[in-house]
Amino acid sequence: MKIGLLVAAVLGAALGVLAQESPGNQRPSVIMQPTEIIPISRGHSGTVELMFRVPSGFHINSNLPHQEYLKKTELKLDAPTDILVRKVRYPDGEDRSFPFAPDEKINVYSGDFTITVEVRPLKTVLPTKYAVHGYLNYQACDNAACYPPRKLPVTFEVRVTKSASENKHRNTPQSPHVHG
Amino acid sequence: MKRDPVILIVVAMVVSIMLVFGIQKARHGSPNAGSAKLLNQPAPDFSLASLDGKTLKLSDYRGKAVLLNFWATWCEPCKVEMPWFVDLQKKYGPQGLQVLGVAMDDAPVKDIADFAQKMNVNYPIVIGKEEVGTQYGGVQYLPSTFYISRDGKIIDRVFGLVSRSEIEVNVQKALGTQVATK
Repeated sequence: MKIGLLVAAVLGAALGVLAQESPGNQRPSVIMQPTEIIPISRGHSGTVELMFRVPSGFHINSNLPHQEYLKKTELKLDAPTDILVRKVRYPDGEDRSFPFAPDEKINVYSGDFTITVEVRPLKTVLPTKYAVHGYLNYQACDNAACYPPRKLPVTFEVRVTKSASENKHRNTPQSPHVHG
Repeated sequence: MKRDPVILIVVAMVVSIMLVFGIQKARHGSPNAGSAKLLNQPAPDFSLASLDGKTLKLSDYRGKAVLLNFWATWCEPCKVEMPWFVDLQKKYGPQGLQVLGVAMDDAPVKDIADFAQKMNVNYPIVIGKEEVGTQYGGVQYLPSTFYISRDGKIIDRVFGLVSRSEIEVNVQKALGTQVATK
């Protein structure tokens, strides 16, 4: 039993080193987690949370990298007419040092991170489902190498509904007065 | 069936050593098989615009050992190497080394030039094109450095950041090769 554990530990350590140190053995593709269809009343703002995952062993620059020449992570959305994307909120990145520049702090995202989008359908928009498309621009590195900037296609859907006040208005009972 | 524990340990250690050697090989190898077949072959020639607008051809440096470095302004590890290249150019330039940077960048030329100036680069930098990257097996990550002998053959290539001493050893290797006599 002890021998088995020792063998597993030796192999595990070697594999761990290999996974961390070997550049380019994986392609650093950020993925977007599935997003629910968000109901939003027309004429009102709603919030959509877009969740992304950076593969283990890689990092991408945050939306506010300290170094001006680094490519920032940026969400570019192309919303349908009458669906306004009012604000995109990026999470704070993490200041980290890497073996290639131990004295320098780089503001990065790694693992899971969430970008929040504030969407506001105009009052006049037809209540139905709308898809918003766009791209997440990012540029990934590992501990020894960097990969060209990439664009991850991003899509989410919102279901535009009539606002509560509209529904209330519709349900207002008829006047009991009889006009004769 | 009873397993001999000593054999198990030996097998585990052999596998581990193979994996660790694999790491070193990965540094010199490539995820893009295209560059593997370039080794010991003539370096693909190219003609690219330099930062000052001149056209530079790789073949202009025939007779010199060339350190061909693909980099970009957005690549932090590339930035680490640049002062080393500056020193190596000073140290080995008189012996026939020519460092040549290929900026695989979508930034405006002026930004690349400003960056190079800030880094005190003392060697020519040309603006890379995707087709040149493809000629070199598809430069899929940076830095990617090719060491070219005086007779124009690729004698080694390294992907990702390595130590200055490793770079210097490769430079010496490239300088040590002789021009092929016809």
